[in-house]
Amino acid sequence: MSDLNFSLWERFQEKWLSRRNLLRGAAGTVLGAGLARPTLVYANDDDGDHEQEPCVGPNPIPGGVVGLKPYGIFIHHNPLNPAKALADINDPSQITDFDGWVGLTHIRGGGTGMDTSTGATTPLAFQADMGFSQGKFIGTDGLEHRGTFAFV
Amino acid sequence: MIPVRHGAVKVDFDAAHASLRVQGMDVFDDHDLANSLTQGLGLPSPAIPAMFPVHAKVSFDVEWDGALATADIENSAQNFKGTFLSTGATIGWSAEQTGFQFQSDTPPDPKANLISVLGRERNGVFFS
Repeated sequence: MSDLNFSLWERFQEKWLSRRNLLRGAAGTVLGAGLARPTLVYANDDDGDHEQEPCVGPNPIPGGVVGLKPYGIFIHHNPLNPAKALADINDPSQITDFDGWVGLTHIRGGGTGMDTSTGATTPLAFQADMGFSQGKFIGTDGLEHRGTFAFV
Repeated sequence: MIPVRHGAVKVDFDAAHASLRVQGMDVFDDHDLANSLTQGLGLPSPAIPAMFPVHAKVSFDVEWDGALATADIENSAQNFKGTFLSTGATIGWSAEQTGFQFQSDTPPDPKANLISVLGRERNGVFFS
Protein backbone atom coordinates (compact mmCIF):
# COMPACT_ATOMS: atom_id res chain seq x y z
CA MET A 1 0.00 0.00 0.00
CA SER A 2 1.43 3.39 -0.90
CA ASP A 3 1.80 6.18 1.64
CA LEU A 4 -1.08 7.96 -0.03
CA ASN A 5 -3.27 4.92 0.24
CA PHE A 6 -2.26 4.33 3.83
CA SER A 7 -2.92 7.93 4.70
CA LEU A 8 -6.34 7.79 3.11
CA TRP A 9 -7.20 4.60 4.93
CA GLU A 10 -6.12 6.15 8.20
CA ARG A 11 -8.36 9.09 7.51
CA PHE A 12 -11.17 6.75 6.61
CA GLN A 13 -10.66 4.85 9.83
CA GLU A 14 -10.59 8.03 11.85
CA LYS A 15 -13.90 9.01 10.39
CA TRP A 16 -15.21 5.47 10.08
CA LEU A 17 -16.00 5.98 6.56
CA SER A 18 -16.73 3.71 3.94
CA ARG A 19 -19.07 5.61 1.79
CA ARG A 20 -19.85 6.55 -1.68
CA ASN A 21 -22.98 7.92 -3.14
CA LEU A 22 -26.19 6.81 -1.49
CA LEU A 23 -28.90 8.74 -3.15
CA ARG A 24 -29.02 9.90 -6.71
CA GLY A 25 -31.75 12.27 -7.71
CA ALA A 26 -34.01 11.63 -10.64
CA ALA A 27 -32.39 14.50 -12.50
CA GLY A 28 -28.95 13.05 -11.91
CA THR A 29 -28.01 15.16 -8.92
CA VAL A 30 -26.18 13.20 -6.31
CA LEU A 31 -27.92 13.91 -3.07
CA GLY A 32 -26.15 11.92 -0.49
CA ALA A 33 -23.05 10.27 0.71
CA GLY A 34 -21.84 9.78 4.21
CA LEU A 35 -18.79 9.56 6.36
CA ALA A 36 -19.94 7.78 9.42
CA ARG A 37 -18.04 8.44 12.59
CA PRO A 38 -19.47 6.32 15.37
CA THR A 39 -17.19 5.38 18.22
CA LEU A 40 -15.59 1.95 18.21
CA VAL A 41 -17.82 0.46 20.82
CA TYR A 42 -19.04 -2.74 19.23
CA ALA A 43 -15.93 -4.28 17.76
CA ASN A 44 -15.73 -6.85 20.54
CA ASP A 45 -19.47 -7.30 20.78
CA ASP A 46 -19.74 -10.69 19.17
CA ASP A 47 -21.69 -12.04 22.12
CA GLY A 48 -24.34 -9.40 21.58
CA ASP A 49 -24.27 -8.07 25.12
CA HIS A 50 -23.69 -4.54 23.85
CA GLU A 51 -20.81 -3.87 26.18
CA GLN A 52 -19.16 -0.62 25.27
CA GLU A 53 -15.56 -1.70 25.06
CA PRO A 54 -13.15 0.54 23.17
CA CYS A 55 -11.34 -1.40 20.50
CA VAL A 56 -9.06 -1.00 17.55
CA GLY A 57 -10.40 -1.50 14.06
CA PRO A 58 -9.59 -4.02 11.36
CA ASN A 59 -7.06 -3.60 8.56
CA PRO A 60 -8.22 -3.13 4.98
CA ILE A 61 -7.80 -5.71 2.27
CA PRO A 62 -4.67 -4.91 0.24
CA GLY A 63 -6.64 -4.87 -3.01
CA GLY A 64 -9.48 -2.76 -4.27
CA VAL A 65 -10.19 -0.27 -6.97
CA VAL A 66 -8.96 3.16 -7.94
CA GLY A 67 -11.78 5.64 -7.82
CA LEU A 68 -12.11 9.12 -9.27
CA LYS A 69 -9.72 8.61 -12.14
CA PRO A 70 -7.40 10.31 -12.92
CA TYR A 71 -6.95 11.36 -9.28
CA GLY A 72 -6.24 7.85 -8.21
CA ILE A 73 -7.95 7.64 -4.85
CA PHE A 74 -7.62 4.01 -3.86
CA ILE A 75 -10.61 2.31 -2.28
CA HIS A 76 -10.14 -0.96 -0.41
CA HIS A 77 -13.28 -2.48 -1.85
CA ASN A 78 -14.02 -4.75 -4.78
CA PRO A 79 -17.38 -3.76 -6.24
CA LEU A 80 -19.47 -6.66 -7.43
CA ASN A 81 -19.76 -6.94 -11.19
CA PRO A 82 -23.01 -8.48 -12.50
CA ALA A 83 -21.15 -9.51 -15.67
CA LYS A 84 -18.73 -11.71 -13.73
CA ALA A 85 -19.44 -15.31 -12.81
CA LEU A 86 -19.71 -15.94 -9.08
CA ALA A 87 -16.62 -18.17 -9.19
CA ASP A 88 -14.60 -15.26 -10.57
CA ILE A 89 -15.45 -12.59 -8.01
CA ASN A 90 -12.77 -10.63 -6.23
CA ASP A 91 -12.59 -10.74 -2.45
CA PRO A 92 -15.96 -9.32 -1.33
CA SER A 93 -14.62 -8.48 2.13
CA GLN A 94 -13.28 -5.00 2.84
CA ILE A 95 -11.17 -6.16 5.79
CA THR A 96 -8.23 -8.52 5.78
CA ASP A 97 -7.02 -11.13 8.25
CA PHE A 98 -10.66 -12.02 8.58
CA ASP A 99 -12.55 -15.26 9.17
CA GLY A 100 -16.32 -15.07 9.09
CA TRP A 101 -19.49 -14.17 7.26
CA VAL A 102 -19.50 -11.61 4.52
CA GLY A 103 -22.35 -10.08 2.56
CA LEU A 104 -22.22 -7.61 -0.27
CA THR A 105 -24.93 -6.20 -2.51
CA HIS A 106 -25.39 -3.72 -5.29
CA ILE A 107 -28.94 -2.48 -5.66
CA ARG A 108 -30.75 0.32 -7.41
CA GLY A 109 -34.20 1.45 -6.48
CA GLY A 110 -36.65 4.25 -6.07
CA GLY A 111 -37.99 6.32 -3.25
CA THR A 112 -39.34 9.66 -2.18
CA GLY A 113 -37.48 12.70 -0.95
CA MET A 114 -39.16 15.40 1.10
CA ASP A 115 -38.25 18.98 1.85
CA THR A 116 -39.20 18.98 5.50
CA SER A 117 -39.58 22.74 5.62
CA THR A 118 -42.27 22.79 2.94
CA GLY A 119 -43.49 19.21 2.85
CA ALA A 120 -42.84 19.09 -0.88
CA THR A 121 -41.97 15.61 -2.13
CA THR A 122 -40.14 14.39 -5.19
CA PRO A 123 -39.47 10.91 -6.58
CA LEU A 124 -35.81 9.98 -6.34
CA ALA A 125 -33.68 7.09 -7.43
CA PHE A 126 -31.02 5.55 -5.23
CA GLN A 127 -28.10 3.24 -5.68
CA ALA A 128 -26.60 1.34 -2.80
CA ASP A 129 -23.41 -0.68 -2.55
CA MET A 130 -23.58 -2.18 0.93
CA GLY A 131 -22.50 -5.16 2.92
CA PHE A 132 -21.27 -6.57 6.21
CA SER A 133 -18.51 -8.60 7.79
CA GLN A 134 -19.03 -10.59 10.95
CA GLY A 135 -16.44 -12.81 12.57
CA LYS A 136 -12.92 -12.76 13.89
CA PHE A 137 -10.19 -10.50 12.60
CA ILE A 138 -6.69 -9.37 13.43
CA GLY A 139 -6.96 -5.73 14.42
CA THR A 140 -4.55 -2.90 13.88
CA ASP A 141 -3.08 -3.78 17.29
CA GLY A 142 -2.04 -7.19 15.96
CA LEU A 143 -4.45 -9.01 18.27
CA GLU A 144 -7.43 -11.19 17.44
CA HIS A 145 -10.85 -9.66 17.90
CA ARG A 146 -14.42 -10.51 17.04
CA GLY A 147 -16.80 -8.00 15.62
CA THR A 148 -19.53 -7.01 13.24
CA PHE A 149 -19.09 -4.28 10.66
CA ALA A 150 -21.37 -2.66 8.14
CA PHE A 151 -20.13 -1.46 4.81
CA VAL A 152 -22.30 1.56 4.07
CA MET B 1 -16.33 -0.27 7.78
CA ILE B 2 -18.62 0.85 10.53
CA PRO B 3 -18.80 -1.22 13.72
CA VAL B 4 -22.35 -2.21 14.56
CA ARG B 5 -24.01 -4.36 17.18
CA HIS B 6 -23.61 -8.08 16.72
CA GLY B 7 -27.37 -8.46 16.45
CA ALA B 8 -27.50 -6.10 13.47
CA VAL B 9 -26.41 -9.01 11.28
CA LYS B 10 -28.17 -12.36 11.13
CA VAL B 11 -26.96 -15.15 8.88
CA ASP B 12 -28.63 -18.45 8.04
CA PHE B 13 -26.25 -19.65 5.39
CA ASP B 14 -27.95 -23.00 4.87
CA ALA B 15 -31.15 -21.15 4.05
CA ALA B 16 -29.26 -18.67 1.86
CA HIS B 17 -30.54 -15.85 4.02
CA ALA B 18 -28.92 -12.94 5.83
CA SER B 19 -29.96 -9.54 7.02
CA LEU B 20 -28.30 -6.30 8.04
CA ARG B 21 -30.56 -4.00 10.03
CA VAL B 22 -29.48 -0.68 11.49
CA GLN B 23 -31.63 2.14 12.84
CA GLY B 24 -30.59 5.76 13.21
CA MET B 25 -26.91 5.48 12.32
CA ASP B 26 -25.16 8.83 12.57
CA VAL B 27 -23.30 9.64 9.37
CA PHE B 28 -22.15 12.64 7.44
CA ASP B 29 -23.81 13.38 4.14
CA ASP B 30 -21.00 14.40 1.81
CA HIS B 31 -23.36 15.26 -1.01
CA ASP B 32 -21.53 13.30 -3.70
CA LEU B 33 -18.93 10.66 -4.37
CA ALA B 34 -16.13 13.10 -5.14
CA ASN B 35 -16.56 14.99 -1.88
CA SER B 36 -16.88 11.77 0.04
CA LEU B 37 -13.55 10.51 -1.26
CA THR B 38 -11.72 13.85 -1.11
CA GLN B 39 -13.01 14.70 2.36
CA GLY B 40 -15.02 17.63 1.08
CA LEU B 41 -12.43 19.12 -1.27
CA GLY B 42 -14.37 18.55 -4.48
CA LEU B 43 -12.58 18.12 -7.80
CA PRO B 44 -11.04 20.61 -10.24
CA SER B 45 -11.88 18.61 -13.34
CA PRO B 46 -14.58 17.64 -13.89
CA ALA B 47 -15.53 20.63 -11.77
CA ILE B 48 -17.23 19.44 -8.62
CA PRO B 49 -17.45 22.16 -5.99
CA ALA B 50 -16.26 21.50 -2.47
CA MET B 51 -19.16 20.67 -0.19
CA PHE B 52 -19.17 20.78 3.58
CA PRO B 53 -20.59 17.56 5.00
CA VAL B 54 -23.76 17.72 7.05
CA HIS B 55 -24.96 15.45 9.82
CA ALA B 56 -27.52 12.87 8.85
CA LYS B 57 -29.11 9.74 10.24
CA VAL B 58 -29.69 6.68 8.11
CA SER B 59 -31.59 3.48 8.69
CA PHE B 60 -31.46 0.44 6.47
CA ASP B 61 -32.73 -3.09 6.22
CA VAL B 62 -30.78 -5.20 3.76
CA GLU B 63 -31.86 -8.78 3.11
CA TRP B 64 -30.04 -11.44 1.14
CA ASP B 65 -32.37 -14.27 0.26
CA GLY B 66 -32.45 -17.27 -2.04
CA ALA B 67 -29.42 -18.90 -3.65
CA LEU B 68 -29.08 -18.28 -7.38
CA ALA B 69 -25.64 -19.87 -7.67
CA THR B 70 -23.00 -21.40 -5.42
CA ALA B 71 -19.21 -21.40 -5.73
CA ASP B 72 -16.29 -22.62 -3.67
CA ILE B 73 -13.45 -20.22 -4.28
CA GLU B 74 -9.77 -20.41 -3.38
CA ASN B 75 -7.96 -17.37 -4.73
CA SER B 76 -4.28 -17.43 -3.78
CA ALA B 77 -3.59 -14.19 -5.63
CA GLN B 78 -5.94 -12.30 -3.35
CA ASN B 79 -5.47 -14.61 -0.36
CA PHE B 80 -9.10 -15.44 0.19
CA LYS B 81 -11.18 -18.57 0.08
CA GLY B 82 -14.63 -19.67 1.03
CA THR B 83 -18.07 -20.72 -0.04
CA PHE B 84 -20.14 -18.06 -1.70
CA LEU B 85 -23.73 -17.73 -2.81
CA SER B 86 -25.15 -15.40 -5.38
CA THR B 87 -28.51 -14.36 -3.95
CA GLY B 88 -31.51 -12.18 -4.41
CA ALA B 89 -31.57 -9.09 -2.22
CA THR B 90 -33.66 -6.12 -1.18
CA ILE B 91 -32.90 -2.87 0.60
CA GLY B 92 -35.13 -0.61 2.59
CA TRP B 93 -33.49 2.78 3.11
CA SER B 94 -34.32 5.96 4.91
CA ALA B 95 -32.27 9.06 5.63
CA GLU B 96 -32.93 12.30 7.39
CA GLN B 97 -31.03 15.50 7.87
CA THR B 98 -31.99 19.09 8.54
CA GLY B 99 -34.52 20.04 5.89
CA PHE B 100 -34.58 16.74 4.04
CA GLN B 101 -35.87 13.18 4.36
CA PHE B 102 -35.67 10.21 2.04
CA GLN B 103 -37.59 6.98 2.18
CA SER B 104 -37.08 4.19 -0.31
CA ASP B 105 -40.08 2.51 -1.85
CA THR B 106 -41.98 0.15 0.43
CA PRO B 107 -41.99 -2.74 0.01
CA PRO B 108 -38.58 -2.84 -1.68
CA ASP B 109 -38.51 -4.14 -5.22
CA PRO B 110 -36.66 -7.49 -5.52
CA LYS B 111 -36.01 -6.71 -9.18
CA ALA B 112 -33.79 -3.78 -8.13
CA ASN B 113 -31.06 -6.22 -7.13
CA LEU B 114 -28.15 -5.97 -9.57
CA ILE B 115 -25.92 -8.51 -7.84
CA SER B 116 -25.58 -9.77 -4.30
CA VAL B 117 -23.22 -12.20 -2.63
CA LEU B 118 -23.28 -13.97 0.69
CA GLY B 119 -20.29 -15.97 1.83
CA ARG B 120 -18.32 -17.73 4.52
CA GLU B 121 -14.74 -16.72 3.93
CA ARG B 122 -11.21 -16.53 5.25
CA ASN B 123 -8.60 -14.12 4.04
CA GLY B 124 -5.19 -12.75 4.97
CA VAL B 125 -3.54 -14.69 7.78
CA PHE B 126 -6.59 -16.99 7.96
CA PHE B 127 -6.28 -17.96 4.30
CA SER B 128 -3.87 -20.83 4.78
